[in-house]
Amino acid sequence: MFKKLKSVRFYLTLALIIASFWAAFSIYYKVTYWGFALEPNKLTNVWAIETHVTFHPTGAPIKISIARPNTDNTFKILDEDVIAPKYQLNLEQNRIILTSNPQKKEQNIYYRVLVYDNTDGKGKAYAPMPDAPISPIFDEQTQLIIRQLISEASKFEGNPIQQLIKLFAQEPPNETVLAFMPKRKSARNTAMIIKDILAFQKIPTRLAWGIKLAEDKKSFSADVMLEAYLKDKWEVYNIETAQKGLPENFIIFQHGGDSLVDVEGGENSVTKFSVIKSTSTSFNLASHRAKLMGDKNWFDYSIYNLPIAQQNALKWLMIFPLAILVVVVARNMIGIKTMGTFTPMLIAMALVQTGFLSGLVCFSLIIGIGFCIRLLLSKLNLLLVPRISAVVIFVILIMQIFTVIGYHFHLDIASSALFFPIIIMAWIIERASIIWEEEGIKNAAKEVFFSIIVAILTYFVIVNPYIRYIMFAFNELNLVILCLVMLLGTYTGYRLTELLRFAPLSKDKTDV
Amino acid sequence: MFKFILPHTLHKAGILGMNYRNYEIIGKNNPRHLYPLVDDKVQTKQLAIQVGINTPELIGVIDAQFKVKNFLALVKEKKEFVIKPAHGSGGKGVLVIKKFTQNYFRTASERVLTYNQVYQHISNILSGLYSLGGRNDVALFEEMVHFSTNFNRYSYRGIPDVRVIVYKGYPALAMMRLATRESGGRANLHQGAVGVGLDILTGKAIAAVQHNRPLIRHPDTHVDLMGLQVPFWKEHLLIAAKGYEMSGLGYLGADIVLDQFQGPMMLELNARPGLAIQIANQKGLYHRLKEIETFPKNLTPEERIEYVLTPQKA
Repeated sequence: MFKKLKSVRFYLTLALIIASFWAAFSIYYKVTYWGFALEPNKLTNVWAIETHVTFHPTGAPIKISIARPNTDNTFKILDEDVIAPKYQLNLEQNRIILTSNPQKKEQNIYYRVLVYDNTDGKGKAYAPMPDAPISPIFDEQTQLIIRQLISEASKFEGNPIQQLIKLFAQEPPNETVLAFMPKRKSARNTAMIIKDILAFQKIPTRLAWGIKLAEDKKSFSADVMLEAYLKDKWEVYNIETAQKGLPENFIIFQHGGDSLVDVEGGENSVTKFSVIKSTSTSFNLASHRAKLMGDKNWFDYSIYNLPIAQQNALKWLMIFPLAILVVVVARNMIGIKTMGTFTPMLIAMALVQTGFLSGLVCFSLIIGIGFCIRLLLSKLNLLLVPRISAVVIFVILIMQIFTVIGYHFHLDIASSALFFPIIIMAWIIERASIIWEEEGIKNAAKEVFFSIIVAILTYFVIVNPYIRYIMFAFNELNLVILCLVMLLGTYTGYRLTELLRFAPLSKDKTDV
Repeated sequence: MFKFILPHTLHKAGILGMNYRNYEIIGKNNPRHLYPLVDDKVQTKQLAIQVGINTPELIGVIDAQFKVKNFLALVKEKKEFVIKPAHGSGGKGVLVIKKFTQNYFRTASERVLTYNQVYQHISNILSGLYSLGGRNDVALFEEMVHFSTNFNRYSYRGIPDVRVIVYKGYPALAMMRLATRESGGRANLHQGAVGVGLDILTGKAIAAVQHNRPLIRHPDTHVDLMGLQVPFWKEHLLIAAKGYEMSGLGYLGADIVLDQFQGPMMLELNARPGLAIQIANQKGLYHRLKEIETFPKNLTPEERIEYVLTPQKA
């Protein structure tokens, strides 16, 4: 028999350990790959980038090509849409192609894309494959200037690319640089020249077009970064500061090429970029992350892919096991005697909906009034089932009156009556009055009191938003609780209250 | 005021906790399918008769609401009787009528009930008010026990009874439960009855408690409780031991009353006897149970009692 117990405990402990490991792994996975936060309401930035193209049609067929954000790096597309009536929409890799028959009026095309910062979910962002180096052709005189530029640049710190950028960014400009520079200095022009010089040195480069994300930004031109192929990978450089690496808030739309928007069959085209920042809980974005991860199927069958109504219902259910654990501990380890096994838990659930104080007051009032009615009922000598049924109906009537009063006098306390489970209330009243009749008011009060104590205890566990979030987001913890509850089923040690109950007993023993 | 004690100390004293009792003792010695035998007092009575245990005689059974109105016909030959629910526990729903007319009923605790109240009581029994889990129940009518006047001074009204814990057929611990004014004439310890621990060899008082607190004198009659000696002690033990054969339960509590004319009688068996008996005895149950596990098996009840009563110190 001892052996049997040992094996039951052994297997349950094993199950608990396996469940814990599984939960730990699953939590790690969800946090790392799905971007679940460890605390509720963690916010992730969502950027709305709008590309607004206006132009006058020339009368020829129109073809507009707009670059889409490049999602190789940390930004991911949440949603995108194009407002271009009468246009035919085609998607090419990284570009949206809009075609239309000739138009007459001024055209307004909007391309809006929602991107979010995916740094929470470090998915398998693959590195882009580099192109083969390109050899530029310069005349002899130009080659001479370039060589001079390169030698002058070597005075600066950093690698050849950074040296060149720093040389070009110098204020006032170097004379050699001025000779080479076009009249209009712009980030784009500078980048083009540096690109050519680097190509001469057999360093492949390209321009990265994108948008620097800033709150409420409006701009008439795209931002540009210089990319150079060094040591088997593309490196990004800031064209003004020579800083290496992609800035956190820079989203690349396109690698290489000339511009983000090309318009054929139009003139005087103007492109306006605007950026609006908003936030969303990282939880809401989990589905997109999972999709990008390629385990969309798995996510599909998780509770997080259900309609919000079901999710909310489950959010509510997921907290139950923890409440049950509280009840088990209260009864089997502490040894508190309560009315009915799960009555305190159900009261606690009701308190969550009603709010703590108003719920408690309302609960006491319903029980109190119900109890008085029950005392009157006992004079009528009814049979048990009709009597308890009458109590149920009385409880319903009390709740109805409370709700009406609560509505008319704007009393939260009264209107919270509706949330209490009717049958449970009726049984509390019935049981309390029977205990009163049989064992005296002291025992009845004691049992009601301890039930409320356990209910309050449970309430504080389940009302905590942090605990609720954790139990929902990491619902595998419920498996751990299940194993824990079963393991507690083999607990044969003393209950806390027994240490008090049997205290007079061992006093003799120690005195001897 | 509140005094806690370390689990270790309790363990050393051999005190059985509720969890240990439920898991190790009841869970392993009392197969569930045997519970109905002891939970249903009608069955218990029949079994007791089979193994030759004295029990209060059954007058009749009322098992349907429509029969309740005829209950007077059932007891019309009797001067006194007891009504109890067949599935009750802890003395709940027991009504002892020691004198009655057509309309008035005087209980053992000197309450006077009307016909309607008694009718209602029987009706409540049938609808399951006193039974485990609220199931429908039947009402038992029994002969009243003329409990021995030996104990008159020890109990404030009510019926004093002896509870013997029987483990694997051997008596382990025993106590007598005495009603007090506070317990309302009932012998339930948690309602304030006095528990007197009895020496298992002699039936003499060794300690007494009320509400877990040791005491020497009965709070109402002020009799020295240490002078208590249960007569016919061996017969008490024998009835308790036979409860093992009768029910098949490895761990049980036998409730025995002493009738003035018929000697000890079994009132009921309990498959989940409480742990308060340890407090009444000022002694833990654990070591005694472990000791009993070393006792010989397959003995008759008589042999077992002989074994227990014979000093084994050799």
